[in-house]
Formats: sequence, C-alpha cells, structure tokens
Amino acid sequence: MTSRSVALAVLSVIALLGALTAAATTGTPAVDVEAGRRKAEVCAQCHGPDGNATAPGTPSIAGMPAFYTHWQLIMYRDGRRRDPQMTPFAERLGEGDLADVAAFYAAQRATARPASTDPARVAAGRPLAEKFHCTSCHGPRLLGQGQVPRLAGQDFDYLMKRLSGYKAKSASDLDGMMTMVAQGLTAADIESLVHFMASLPPAP
Amino acid sequence: MSPSRLARPLTVLLLGGGLLWPSAAQAQQPAWKQGQPPSMSTSPLAPIPAPPSPTPAAQIPVDKIKLPPGFKISVWADGISNARSMTFGDRGTVFLGSRVAGNVYAVVDRGGKREVKVVAKGLMQPSGVLFKDGALYVAEIPRLLKFENIEASLDSPPAPKVLYEYPKESHHNWRYLALGPDGKLYFNMGAPCNICDPPDTHANISRINLDGTGFEYYARGVRNSVGFDWHPVTKELYFTNHGRDWMGDDVPNDTLHHAPRPGLHFGYPHCHQGDIQDPDFGAGRACSEFAPPLLKLGPHVAAMGIRFYTGSMFPSEYRHRAFIALKGSWNRTQKSGYRIMTVELRPGAPPRYEVFADGFRDGDKVLGRPTYIQWMPDGSMLVSDDYHGAIYRITYQP
Repeated sequence: MTSRSVALAVLSVIALLGALTAAATTGTPAVDVEAGRRKAEVCAQCHGPDGNATAPGTPSIAGMPAFYTHWQLIMYRDGRRRDPQMTPFAERLGEGDLADVAAFYAAQRATARPASTDPARVAAGRPLAEKFHCTSCHGPRLLGQGQVPRLAGQDFDYLMKRLSGYKAKSASDLDGMMTMVAQGLTAADIESLVHFMASLPPAP
Repeated sequence: MSPSRLARPLTVLLLGGGLLWPSAAQAQQPAWKQGQPPSMSTSPLAPIPAPPSPTPAAQIPVDKIKLPPGFKISVWADGISNARSMTFGDRGTVFLGSRVAGNVYAVVDRGGKREVKVVAKGLMQPSGVLFKDGALYVAEIPRLLKFENIEASLDSPPAPKVLYEYPKESHHNWRYLALGPDGKLYFNMGAPCNICDPPDTHANISRINLDGTGFEYYARGVRNSVGFDWHPVTKELYFTNHGRDWMGDDVPNDTLHHAPRPGLHFGYPHCHQGDIQDPDFGAGRACSEFAPPLLKLGPHVAAMGIRFYTGSMFPSEYRHRAFIALKGSWNRTQKSGYRIMTVELRPGAPPRYEVFADGFRDGDKVLGRPTYIQWMPDGSMLVSDDYHGAIYRITYQP
C-alpha cells in the first residue's frame, strides 16, 4: 500500500468515519466557507490571513479538520478552554459562525512553521509517536482527522505547551482522552515528540 | 526530587527489577483502542465522532424510518447538540443531558413549537438527568448535581448543589441517572477501560439517597450500563449493557439483564453475554458463577435507553413491553443496531425481541443514532438522537 492508502486505511478512525458519515447523510448543516472567511478576518492578526500563524506559541489552524476547530471554539465560548485573547472572541460568535469559521480554516492549505528541530530528537520522537499511540487518533502522519487536530508541522512552542499541559492535567480536553494518554510521558518524551511533530510536513 | 521520580524506581524494584520499564508500562492506549489484539491493529474501526453542530430538522432524514402500521415519526425538536437522556419536569419541560457538548438543555413546548434553552454548560459529559420534586438532578463524570426549583428559573438557573463526587476516571463514566421505586437515585459507574479487571469502584450500578447520602453498590460485574428501568408491575430492575470491543464482528453481544435484588454479579470482565469467557480475564472463572443475561441484543449494537411502556396511545400488545434504543455500532465491519427494538417478557418462555423502528442507517451510511426514550403524558414516544442533536416523536393512530 502507498503511504496515502495506509493513512486512509489504518486510522481513518474518527475523521474518516466522521467525514464519511457527515458527508453521506444529510446530517451536516450547510456551512459557508466564504462567510467563514469574512468572519475569520478578526482572527488574522494572530493566526494569519489564511490560518498560518507566525508568532511562536500561536497555533496554525489552516488545514485543521473542521470538527476540531469547531469543538475548540465551542469550548472557548463555554469556558471549558480558557485564553485571554480567544475567550472574548469566541463568546461573541453564534452557532453558525463557529461552523463557518471552522470550515474556512479547514479549506486552507497549511504551511510549515519555522522550527529548529534537532535531528537526534526527531529520531527519538518518531517511535514514541507509535509507542504512545499518537497515530491511533491523529493518523499515521499526524495530520489529524475529525475532532482530532493536526500535529504535523505545528508550532513548536504551542505543541510543547499543549502536551505539557495534558501531562499536568491542566489543558482543556474535549473527552479526557489526551489527559489520560499523556500521563505516561516523561519530560524527555514530550520534548522528543514535539521535535518529531514539528518536523513533519503539515499538509498531505 | 518530585514524588513521582521517587516512586518510580521503587515500583520497579517491588516488581522484581526492570520488568516494568516505567514509560513502557505507562504507554496507555486511547480508551477506545484498549484491548485490541495485535491481529486487529490495522483495523480501520473507530468510534463515530459527535458532530459539533446539531442538524436542522429539515435535513434530518426522518422519512427513512420504518415503523409498524399506524405509527408515525416526526422531528419534535432540533438544535439540541449531542442530545442524550431525557426527563420530564412537572410543568412539561423536557430536560436533556449531553456528553462532549457539556450542556444540559430544557425544551419548552410552546404550542406546536419547541424552544431549546441551555440551562447548564461547560460540564464534563453531563449525560444523566432526572427530575424529581421540582429539582433537576444531573450526573456528570465527576459530580452529581442538584438544581433546585429549576422550572421556575429556566433563563437564570440557580447554581447547583454538589450532592456527590464520583471517581475521576473519564472513560465509561458518562452516566445514566434514574429514580428507583425505592426513591433512590441509580447510576452506572462503568469500567474505566474496554477490558480490564476493574477496581470495586467501577463496573457497577450503584444507588444513593436523594440528598447524596447512603451510597451503595447495587449490581456488580456490569461493564457499562447506560440505560435502565423498573418493570411497571414487579418494580424490578432491568438494564442494558454494552459488551466489550475487539473480539470480532459477532461477539460479544450487548445484553439485557434483570437484577431483581442487590448484590448480583453479571460477569464482567470474566464472562461476556453469559457464555463467552474473556480471552484475557476469563481463565479460572466459569460463566456459571455469574447472573446470566436475560437476552442477547446483538453484537456491538450499543444498547442505550430502555423504557417499559405504560401509556395508552400504542396498541394494547405494547403495554409493558420494554423499548430499547440501539444507537448503533462502531466496532463492527458492517454496522449493526441503528434501530429501536421491543422486548416482550413472557413468563416461562424466552423474551420476544422485535424490531420497532428501523432505518437509522442505509448500509454503512448513518442516518441517525437513536439514543434514549421518554414517554410523553399522552403515551407517545420521544426518542433522542445524539448524532443529529434532535428529538423525534412517535405517535400511533389506528
């Protein structure tokens, strides 16, 4: 199998099923990518006009699965994920806005973030992504799917902050899954994983 | 040095030195994948994610649902993201819980139109709801909450009182909540895994007084029951149970159980569906040690809400039958479930198990996921769908 077909077959998991079921049924409300572009203008200052951010610590959301971005916006709006900049913004968005903004970012192409990853750390992190089952939900190339975010090529500092936060049980978590699986990680594991994730190409 | 760094070498030492390399021992799988044998490691099967948006009524394919002659189904309310179990308030409000949406809803019937209000948000999978004497009880993963005098203040609900704190493990601990004939609140405390030897605090159904005191275990060896009801005549407990994953397409079945008294053990993790020993936890244990299921409901069907029919709208043959919502499988190559079934209990004969509502899938396409059942005062049926975020109403007219 090609790596693409492996990617689809092995862990089509959450996203593939989600995408298939959502697309196949009439079950997903119509979303408006163009409306999403307008509604996302206010996000551009930090996340970039197309969702590719440049400031260290700020995540790129271009090419993120729509379910992921949508759920995160819901969590900000409802106070389940907190951030001094994101919270007031998300509180002003209505239900339809969340879906449109999420769809807009899902339709953008992710570009790589500059990261000075250490090849030795990258090599150490690669097997850890299998061992700690990151690929089970995030997909074989960590591109994310469904409600699960893309990690490949994400901002280094942001990845460090999130993964360390899950280990510390202080990061927001939609369903408790990340907090649970992060408990087995050592500080060295986290660092190696982040080097590896940041080094991966962010788009298929 | 942090306590955890102190503890690790000690653990290794106690276990015989180096047998458990700390990080290897702690590389925990995501909960849904736990127990997957190496032979299935390339399986594409995985849980179906909850959509973040509810589906507008006009886009829900309710016309695809097939019912016995005389029955009709329609969308009664929409816009209820992740809608789960339901309970009726004294003034006719329908309250619903949810899982990842984190919301508790109130649906108010305004003469042919339903208004949906969020009465609590940001909770951790508040799936269990129960209305009693003016108060709404909500079971989320970590806590049992009570909202006093809720129907008088749907737009500015009171801060809840915490009645009880549950164990913190999140997996299989989204809860169903129901009021027993003894006036106690019953809830599940599911296994914190797909398959494992759970601590005593898990894999059970338990009960507590309405004031949060008097906690006690009621049924043990229950992997995860997210639906139960008491027979309208015998007042005995019947509950659905989800069978374990990753044993193949056709076993084990989800099951219906009868627990007429406290203290029974229903087999988990040693024995599944009354006649299959677990490959990892069954050794040395016989299925005959445990209370057998009353009925096998089908493999991986996700048997959810169960309610006995006591109304008068449906034909008389449905009286006292149990209706069971099968939300539908993920851990099966071809989808199963996606139906509402009925169970007729027959003294001296096996229960009769029949399809009531079918067509919540078209092949592998999900058209809906029937999750919980609630009777309306007129005897019609409400069915929640946590995929579309909607409530259906099923009526009968001869």
